Order: sequence, then C-alpha cells, then structure tokens
Amino acid sequence: MAILNLKNISKNFGAIVALDGVSLDLKEGEVLGLMGDNGAGKSTLIKIIAGNFKQSDGEMFFEDQNIEFNKPMDARNKGIEVVYQDLALCDNLTAASNIFLTREPKKKIGPFELIDYKKMFEKAKQLFAELKSETLPNETVRMMSGGQRQAVALARTKLSKAKVVLLDEPTAAISVRQVAEVLELIRQLKKQGISVVIISHRMPDVFAVSDRIAVLRRGKLVANKLAKNSSPEEVTALITGAIETA
Amino acid sequence: MFSYNRLLFLIDHLIWGILVLVFVFFIFQSEYFLTERNISNILTAAAVLGVLVAGQTFVLISGNFDLSTESTLGLAALVGIWLIVPAGPTTFGGGIYMNPYLSIICSLSMGALIGYIIGCLITYGNMHNFIVTLAALLVIRGLMMAFTEGAPVSGFNNPSADVFYWLGHEKAFKVPGLGKISVAVLATGLVYIVCHLILKHHKFGRELYAIGGNRDAAEALGINVNRRIRQVYMLSGLLAALGGWMLAGRVVSIQSNLGETFIFTVFAGAVIGGVSLQGGRGTMLGALGGVLLLSTIDRGLNLMQVSVFWIKVIQGSVILVAMLIDAQRVRLKELSIIATSEKK
Repeated sequence: MAILNLKNISKNFGAIVALDGVSLDLKEGEVLGLMGDNGAGKSTLIKIIAGNFKQSDGEMFFEDQNIEFNKPMDARNKGIEVVYQDLALCDNLTAASNIFLTREPKKKIGPFELIDYKKMFEKAKQLFAELKSETLPNETVRMMSGGQRQAVALARTKLSKAKVVLLDEPTAAISVRQVAEVLELIRQLKKQGISVVIISHRMPDVFAVSDRIAVLRRGKLVANKLAKNSSPEEVTALITGAIETA
Repeated sequence: MFSYNRLLFLIDHLIWGILVLVFVFFIFQSEYFLTERNISNILTAAAVLGVLVAGQTFVLISGNFDLSTESTLGLAALVGIWLIVPAGPTTFGGGIYMNPYLSIICSLSMGALIGYIIGCLITYGNMHNFIVTLAALLVIRGLMMAFTEGAPVSGFNNPSADVFYWLGHEKAFKVPGLGKISVAVLATGLVYIVCHLILKHHKFGRELYAIGGNRDAAEALGINVNRRIRQVYMLSGLLAALGGWMLAGRVVSIQSNLGETFIFTVFAGAVIGGVSLQGGRGTMLGALGGVLLLSTIDRGLNLMQVSVFWIKVIQGSVILVAMLIDAQRVRLKELSIIATSEKK
C-alpha cells in the first residue's frame, strides 16, 4: 500500500519551473532513492513533502487523505519527519532531553507546567531498550559515539511515530565512517516499517540502501524503477540525459 | 568501588567547595569576618549583583551576550525616583509626584521594554548581539546623563521613596549566625528559586539550552528561536530594572553614573559560576555560587584592609584562577565520561 502519493506536482518560482508534473508513490517500509543533478528539483520536491514549500499545482495524498501543509510543523504532526545531516542533536543536552526536545512530558503543579523528568527518562530508557541500544538516557550527547547518536535520532523518530522519514543529502559533507552510520540508520528505519526518501548524488550510497530509484531531470520524473532492475551506469545516463527515460 | 557519578556531581558543584575554602581563609585573616554584621553585608552586596547575574545567565545560556544591563539598571533606578520626587535643586526630580508603586511598575516595564527593543534589533535587524548591546550600553548611559544634565536625582528623606528603601535597605528578620536578612536578600533568593525552576524544569529553559547548544537543530525541531531570544533579553532587562530598584533604595541619591562598569563583575560572576560564554552550559545554582564567591572576596579583602590599588589586581587574578579551574573542571568531566562509557 502506498503511504504517500504525489499526483502531478508542479512548482514554479516566478518564471523558473522547478518541478513539472511529478507523480510518485512511496510504499510502506520502502526506501526510495531520489536522484538527479544539481537543480533537477530533488530538494524542491522534498521541501514540498516536508511542508517548507507549497506546490503550485497538483495534489498530495497521505494515507489516502488529500493533504496540504502550510508549515513544517503540519507535516511533522502527520508523521513526516526530516532527519538532518548532523541528526539535529544538541551536544550539550542529555540523550533523553534531545529525544523529547519540544515534546517533553509535563506535570501540572498548580497553574504551572513543569517537565516530568522521571517520566521522560523512563520513556527514553524504554525507547533505547526497544532499539536494543545501550545508550543511557542521562548521558550527554557530546561524548557519544556515532552509533549512539544515531540511536538518539532513531528514538526521536520512534517517539513521534514517524511514518515517513526524509533525508536530504545525508552523506554529502561527512566522513566515510559517518556515511556508513547514516546508511545503517536508514536500514534501521526500514526495519521499523518506516518509509524513507533519501536524496543524494552519491551513487553507491543510494544503491546500498534503496529499494527503488526515481530520477529527476529538469523538474521532470524520467525514471522510477526497482533498484535491482537498474544499475549505477543506467542512472548516471538518466541523470545526464544520455538516456531519455527508463 | 568508586562511583563516577559521584565524581561528576563533585566536579559540577566545585564552586561551593571553593567558596568554603575562601570563606575559611578569610576567617583566619580577620577576626571581624565571621560576625553577623559582616555576613549580612556580604549577602546584601550579593543581592543586586545576583539579580543581574541571573538575567545574564539566561542570555548566556541561549548563546548571546547582554552588555547593556548595567545601563538599564541605572536608568530604571533614575526614572523610578525621578517620577516621585519634586523638581528643582536638591532633589532634581520630574515634579510629577507619581504614586511610588506606579513608578516602580513604570521602571520595571521600562527595563523589560528596553530588553525587548534590544531583542528586536538583534532578531529582526539581523545584527550581532554583542554590537547591539554595546550600543545600547552607551545610548542608555548617554540618555541618563542628558536627562539629568549630571545632577543627582535624590529621594533622600522623601516618604514616597520608602518603597525603594524597603527593597533596598529594610531588614526583614534576624537569623542567628547570619545577622539581619534584608528584604533585598530575600527578593534575590526568590528570584533565584523562580529562575532555577524556569531554567531547569520548564520548557522555556530547555529550549534556551537547545538554542545555545545547536541553534540550527533547535530551529529544525520547531523552536521559535528568534522569539525566545527576544524573550530572553526582555527577562534580562526586567531583572536589571529590579536590580535598579534595589540599588535606588540603597544609595537613595541617583548619580548619572550609577552602575557604571558593573557589567564586568556581572560577567565574572556568571563565568566563575560555570556559565559558558559559548552558550548552552551553566546553571542558576552555579551562577549563585559565583555571585557569593565574588562578594565574599570583595568583603574579605575590605576587612583585610588591602590597599585599593591592589584590590583590582586581586579581583582580576581571582577571575583568571576561577576560569582556569573551570576549564580543568570541563576537561575532567569529559575524561570521566569517557572513563564511564569505556567501562560498559
């Protein structure tokens, strides 16, 4: 079943056409690699899904419901989460604080709402146990290994019950070791039944984790096929325009 | 077996150990140090500094600076008294004879408004907080001077100024061993309890740490960073005006240089208390420890009759030594965290 359907999505910034009638489905628990050259419209498409931009034309369906996002918070509330390159972690805070940032459990004392630390740490401990991670909720993120940082980011998506996770160039500016960690994070998300869209122009990374590859060229969708039926050579040709469509 | 958690706790609360050491040192140096009168003096001196440091702690944790608070303090005190006393020589007021309670509300709101304007200049004007608050420091001080033309505004012997005197000078009750506790000390204590709750136990405080730690991440998670920054400056301005109210009650006659160069001590107090200038690190309790340490040293040196020429040298050295200890503290903490995680 498709969790997200895009129907004829177009976006223009003034006279510039960034997206031209893109139709794309994302299935449950699927990893979709979105590829294309600079300026092909990948980031624009992701930003429309994440609620940063509104499409100029076309419709979006999430779990068969027609949806319209005015701001990123709307998308988050639906269960569409963006994971950033640095995992958007605050190094100075504990693991639990990072997971619950902006969604802390609260207890009422008179007219005041205070953070319920006990509940927060217990829930964090439970999330880490579910992820089979040995990360401690009260540990500061600064001193964590890459794997532990990822566990924190994963716990955050688990907490928000995210159904779709978007990664925009997650491996562009990081070390080889960190790339391996991000790819592992994507596999972990998939294992949890979460659908993932990854944007990248690093061919090996995309092929390492994707089930399906979609290629954009000058705002148009020129290919949408299973990764096992394609090859890096074919995708390169599609990106550059050596092959028209596939 | 030795517990690393206990070690971490000790490292985090090192400031209190230093405070005790300094305290004991002065007891041996001066027979007058451990008198009720002196302890009461230390606490009263810490009161005004304390509220300013509390405000600065919020600003620093969010990763910003507020250099302007000493001027805001001066202007708030000046306006508060000016509104209630007669015009003309000896008092140099506005001759408005405002109700003193109303004048305090005016002066506190003015402090908050100044902070809000600074916050707007930084967030909407896209300017660096250091420059904006430096400019505000000069502009507000200049306004004070232009406004009074250098004449001291005096509430001396004026019954309307009693409200100021109450907060600045009145003794609330006597505690055996600590001497008479003034209203100012009580008020500052209350300020610290409330600020501690906000910083540690309220969403607002958590968000400030997040902004100071990783601004982009905070923004990505939906925290309205610019709005929080405006609120932080407002809080800082409000607390500075509260400090002005206290100081106005203590000195009664407001000179246009009231509070000048105070900002150095404010930063010293916060930093000695373990509040990071890089943002994202520090606690209200630590800041309070820094404030108490500074005022203890100040009174102690006074009682030892150290020459004024050397007091500044000693104060500067104390700040350096405290920073050195703090830097080691942070290093030690990270080392012990590594040690704990390797044990697993």
